Amino acid sequence: MCFRACAFVEDEFVNATLKWKEIEKPKANLEYNYQNTKRIPIKMKILEPFKSEKELYEGQIIEFKTVEPVVYKRHILIPVDSIIKARVETIITNGMNGIPASVILGNFEAENIDSKHLTNYYEKFGFDLSLLVFPLKWALTPLPPTGSLTNFIKGGHAKIKKNKEIVIYYYPY
Amino acid sequence: MKKIALVLFLLSGLSVFADDNVLIEEQSIQSRINNCAMKILNANKISKPVVFVYDDADKKTKLKLDTTLTKRQVVVYKYAYKHIEDENELAAFLSRRISIALRSFDGVFGGFLRSLQVSAAPKKFEMVADKRAVDFMVNAGYNPVALITYIQKTSPQRRFDAVSNHNLTSKRLATIYEYIYVKYPYYLKNNEYIDNENYQNFLLTSRDNRRLLQEKIMTGSGEKLKYE
Repeated sequence: MCFRACAFVEDEFVNATLKWKEIEKPKANLEYNYQNTKRIPIKMKILEPFKSEKELYEGQIIEFKTVEPVVYKRHILIPVDSIIKARVETIITNGMNGIPASVILGNFEAENIDSKHLTNYYEKFGFDLSLLVFPLKWALTPLPPTGSLTNFIKGGHAKIKKNKEIVIYYYPY
Repeated sequence: MKKIALVLFLLSGLSVFADDNVLIEEQSIQSRINNCAMKILNANKISKPVVFVYDDADKKTKLKLDTTLTKRQVVVYKYAYKHIEDENELAAFLSRRISIALRSFDGVFGGFLRSLQVSAAPKKFEMVADKRAVDFMVNAGYNPVALITYIQKTSPQRRFDAVSNHNLTSKRLATIYEYIYVKYPYYLKNNEYIDNENYQNFLLTSRDNRRLLQEKIMTGSGEKLKYE
């Protein structure tokens, strides 16, 4: 049940920018069968490495290259050096108390493979300093305000180096 | 004496009947929540177990721990449930909570540290949960615009957020709107909620923020907007 407005206002911004564009409805993943427990790793390396999440923006497409062929039932699904695309879904900036930044990559696309058979998302975290910060904060609490000063320690930036091997999975169900 | 006994007998029968009705109603709500939640988990290939429970208490008491991070148990309180008008809004509520619960599985000590981070910086993870909820909803075939209508009617607008643990609701809504506009414009172009009173109220209250977004889109700028 929803309550209907009597005389509704149009979203002029959407009308002005999207009205004439042809946009397909995003595909939902509603046909699944999780009986099969098999998963095949896809090992890959980034083409253009980044040192910080600040170099990225949400919606950006990032490219990876497979480092070895992906084989299923003696058949090469993805040859070595194939391009796999991913989209930057969400960027989480680093924060106080040593909280690291992270980048969530999703919408993986490989040639000849339906995306719904691939890992849904992969999250790359920066260096987590909160393991150090929280005990330090608690230890310094009897000496105010030194405990609060640990708030200002920031976590590491999310980065993917050139040689960092990223592993996602192909689920052949 | 016999008459009094008869009246008491009838009254006790009525109370049992009323209890049964309440139980049946709660079972139906629980089943609706489970169906929707499991669809979201399955469609998003979420392999971490999360459970869902309906609680007829109006809302969580302040001293009670939020079990989303500690037990990975999402509690749907009556206050939240009574605002849910359709399946999309139910999915919106559950997707947000699932997104928060999933954070408690990552990292060292079985996710304890990550849970601590979410508890220590709820403001930071609030918008992340909103964005992930949009993705979860779309993957499960729900309309993400319902997240806007649900937050619009349930989250009060604070005076300021500079020293608060939470973001301004208007900022959250504008961020969700931008996220949907960029990633899933289909749902704004073919907006099923355009004649919904809550969505109209969002359009009314978000004019300045939408103007900012319009300028960003027109100029092709990539900078992060400072919504009010």
